[in-house]
Amino acid sequence: MSSPLADWSESPAWLAPIPTSDDREFWVGARNGELRIQRCGACGLHQHYARMLCSHCGADEIAFVVASGLGTIYSFTVIRKNGVPPFRERVPFVVASVQLDEPGARVLAAMPTTAIESVAIGARVRAQFRPVGDEFAFVDFALDSA
Amino acid sequence: MAMKRNVCVVGVGLSDGPITPDLNQHQLIAQAFRRALTDAGMQKHEVEGLASAGYGGMHEVAVAEYLGLTPHWLESTSCGGSSFEFHIQHAYRAIQAGDVETVAVVYGNNQLSASGRTLGTGGGGGRGGPLPGPMKYEFPTGLTLVGAYAMAAQRHMYEFGTTPEQLASIAVQTREHAARNEGAMYRDLISIDDVMSSNLVADPLHKLDCCVISDGGCVVILTTQDRARDLRHKPVYIRGAAGGTTHHSINAMADMTRTAAAISGPRAFADAGIRPIDVDVFCAYDSFTYTVLVTLEDLGFVPKGEGGPFVADGNLRLGGVLPTNPDGGGLSNTHPGMRGLFLACEATRQLRGDGGASQVKGAEVAVCNGSGGWLSTQGTIVLSTEAS
Repeated sequence: MSSPLADWSESPAWLAPIPTSDDREFWVGARNGELRIQRCGACGLHQHYARMLCSHCGADEIAFVVASGLGTIYSFTVIRKNGVPPFRERVPFVVASVQLDEPGARVLAAMPTTAIESVAIGARVRAQFRPVGDEFAFVDFALDSA
Repeated sequence: MAMKRNVCVVGVGLSDGPITPDLNQHQLIAQAFRRALTDAGMQKHEVEGLASAGYGGMHEVAVAEYLGLTPHWLESTSCGGSSFEFHIQHAYRAIQAGDVETVAVVYGNNQLSASGRTLGTGGGGGRGGPLPGPMKYEFPTGLTLVGAYAMAAQRHMYEFGTTPEQLASIAVQTREHAARNEGAMYRDLISIDDVMSSNLVADPLHKLDCCVISDGGCVVILTTQDRARDLRHKPVYIRGAAGGTTHHSINAMADMTRTAAAISGPRAFADAGIRPIDVDVFCAYDSFTYTVLVTLEDLGFVPKGEGGPFVADGNLRLGGVLPTNPDGGGLSNTHPGMRGLFLACEATRQLRGDGGASQVKGAEVAVCNGSGGWLSTQGTIVLSTEAS
């Protein structure tokens, strides 16, 4: 028996991100269908979310790169209770911590289009983008069928 | 070099609880403070240091004014439920060094009456305005506080074969202790089936894997061994303390099966000159059953990955290998938003032999491990009936 999936396409305005000089690139990138993360020129590792220095080695040779959007589920949970609308009406749904193929970066994401019964640690996943407001988008993940 | 001074707990106090709709946080703190002073046999003016974790800017200063204190030593590390283990660590060092003689560590919160049961699954706020740091990325996913712990538990299950039934056994054993505590919020015995058939909140955590939400206040008074000599109770010594943090948001927890207790535990035990096998009572922060499981392993009470079978064997019971949370813990007794200070209160009562129906016979060494945030911060303190 699979649970029906809620429609996540509409989000209330208050949920939209308020970008800063640090991370505007990420939110605009998502609207353009790209997962933009940072890569450190000194150690070669990646990071998400955006910062002023490398959280791995401390260098400040940081630049945004477009990630493949592919990754593996490190862990996940099925949220069955959330008291805050619109999430209250969306349960149950999966939230996963995704290890990107780019070393060093993990992304926490909802998997709103994936049946909760089909999710497992180690599963391959792909980023997808869900517009919010006029300028930005959220990054979700879904099982990679490729 | 002058010898370091021995530091001890000489007074503990609990407010009314676990449901106090007519008391605000300052009233709860004041009630517990008055009781701790009486318990110690001290006068208010002797308290010259104050440690407090609460909500809002300068909250510790507001508490000082409310209590009529003018402390020359002030501490307000605020790192979630473990804040109070950090406070005790810092007060212990400051008293040891001679910066201050007597410190009160205080907490009070009408969490349940003011905010209901919203802490774990939202509904109490979070709308509008900029979200701090990683929460900007996590809140829109719909992740809840319970969900963060659930995600870590799920990883432990994946790596080590830990089962939901093993997690449930922690709640079952803790409830047995609460049944012996007249002040506990929930006292009816429960079975593993009861836990497993309670609603899933975030897989794999059920409602009964989660701590209660209550009201309550607690105060612990620390001073020197010299000052303790003519006070009311035999002192309980702070023998070791350490803390640490590995991440803020759960997504940044590099290894979800290993917390900073793997760092703070060995450091605190080395400071105290003890090994895990020497510990008679474990006061574990049990925000969730998984919090107990992972910190049992991180502190070295059981090897990494073997926590599941260890708890399923009933080792947390009174008379077990490691009696844990004899007061009924956060899972069944009380958890007013943050619980760290209640751990030190219960450890002190146990080491005094004042544990009542839940007394661990012959207890001489207790360990408190506070956990804060999303398994983010861990603080470990070692208490003993004997000075070093």
